[in-house]
Amino acid sequence: MNLGEKMRRRLKLNRPSLRARSRPPKQRSPVGRQFSVVNLPVSLALQHCRSCAHVQYPPTELCSICLDDALTYRETSGRGVLLARSALHHSLWEFFKRRLRSAPWLIGSVKLDVGPVVIVHIGCDTIKAGDPVQVFSHTDVSQEVVLVAAPSALDLTGSAARLNIISSLGLDQPALRKGGI
Amino acid sequence: MKGYEGIALVCPVSLGYVKQSAHGAAWFIGSTLRELINAAGIKKSEIDGFAVSSFSLGVDSAISLTQHLGLTPRWIEQANMGGVSGIIAMRRAARAVQCGEANIVACVGGDGAAHRSFEATAANFSSWSIDASFPYGAGGPNAAFSLITQHYMEKYGATREDFARICLDQRYNANHYAPALLGHKTLTLQNYLNARPIAGPVHLFDCVMPCAGGEGFLIMTEDRARQLELPYARLLAADELHNAHSDDPVQDRSGWTHYIDDVYQRAGVGPNDMSCLQTYDDYPVISMMQMEDLGFCVKGEGAQFVQNTDMRFDHSGSAAHKLPHNTCGGQLSCGQAGSAAGYLGVTETLRQLIGTAKDNQIPKAQYGLVSGYGMVNYDRGLCTAAAVLAGAAV
Repeated sequence: MNLGEKMRRRLKLNRPSLRARSRPPKQRSPVGRQFSVVNLPVSLALQHCRSCAHVQYPPTELCSICLDDALTYRETSGRGVLLARSALHHSLWEFFKRRLRSAPWLIGSVKLDVGPVVIVHIGCDTIKAGDPVQVFSHTDVSQEVVLVAAPSALDLTGSAARLNIISSLGLDQPALRKGGI
Repeated sequence: MKGYEGIALVCPVSLGYVKQSAHGAAWFIGSTLRELINAAGIKKSEIDGFAVSSFSLGVDSAISLTQHLGLTPRWIEQANMGGVSGIIAMRRAARAVQCGEANIVACVGGDGAAHRSFEATAANFSSWSIDASFPYGAGGPNAAFSLITQHYMEKYGATREDFARICLDQRYNANHYAPALLGHKTLTLQNYLNARPIAGPVHLFDCVMPCAGGEGFLIMTEDRARQLELPYARLLAADELHNAHSDDPVQDRSGWTHYIDDVYQRAGVGPNDMSCLQTYDDYPVISMMQMEDLGFCVKGEGAQFVQNTDMRFDHSGSAAHKLPHNTCGGQLSCGQAGSAAGYLGVTETLRQLIGTAKDNQIPKAQYGLVSGYGMVNYDRGLCTAAAVLAGAAV
């Protein structure tokens, strides 16, 4: 099938489930995209307010405490405690639907020591609610940044260890369908 | 706070529940409006206030609907706040009528359910969900509430059997309410426990079924209602609070704790006086949280409370304590018709108090408590509202 035929078939059968490759959600708000860009070179960068020192997540355009717009991304410790975890057996997104065929997808919420609560992919299924964890950011195969929680004892200095976790989750590769368009 | 004296709530309408529909939100809202007009026996031009709630109007708004539906309101409100929409529309409209800004306000919630529309709503719900929750497994509300449920179960020792009490009694109620989409099916504890897992502790029968439908009611003065010979209910007290307890790492309580005592005081009745309770039941844990925060039991004892309480409309359950809860089956058994789901508790309470519920009528219903909850912007529902309604006779 040449490219033209392939694009015509895609338009005719415009269903995520028929695509050969599916990827995690790409959509972000403008500040969300900024968050992705800023987090590329570091393990984790969060917005800090220069007026009141509040650290916040998800990213916004104003500090939610003092309403100042003096927000700066700073490299931040990802240490925190896992509040709750959950194994997803159902998803609305084709990429995760395909991943779910082999195993449930683990997500959790983490209270960071610096303040905010973050929703994360769980990078290692041994961590349980109440455990100390470390959260890092990484790009997925959609080239957007997502947050991942790993056991606090793990040495994550150096990007190889972090990439290893992302690979084990399958976030660095598209989910494939044989014979898809 | 000033009371709502002289205000009448009339003509509860629930319309057109269906799992999927080619009709858009305007059809469900307009059809509900038509039924309201027919039920009240008034002319369309007599409706001079219009409060509307919908998630699926797309590029249209309440104002576009005035032209679609040929209305000329001098008072208009758009309350797109999911599970609190009904109570908020009711409060705003009651004040408008009380202050003479409108004579008859139609409050309508309605949503369509086009193919794959739920997926689109979940993927685009809010900027925070787009940036910071949807990319994590794309579970939609199930994912957020699975974390809340898991945390609640670990903190307070609630079990799936406890949540089943809520779902099973609601299904029994739905078996006696014809429009409920799942009302033709019975639900046993075995079915409930063996259901397909969806997200963590959340299984199939803990989830609502997205659907299309419309809900609505009219607000006017008591004098006008009597003049039109319409049976009515009264609004004794109501309150709302949003983004409360924002420092709690995981939600296990919300805004009601700040105002519910005051609401009971203004209404002159308490939880034990209620003939029925309608909570916003997007997930059973949320109903349990409301029972605690609304003062039916103390925090953390919701599980024990539902085990000891018969929540069927006809008191036919085995538990000694009786509290008819979500007497038409709630969203868990009726389906969740988008924003209309935020009106369901109000319309159902009105039917019970006016005495127009059919097979699921509570005998001699006098007082009803309606509670609203909603809008998971990121990790928790932000909105809360509660209202105490009474029949005209009490």
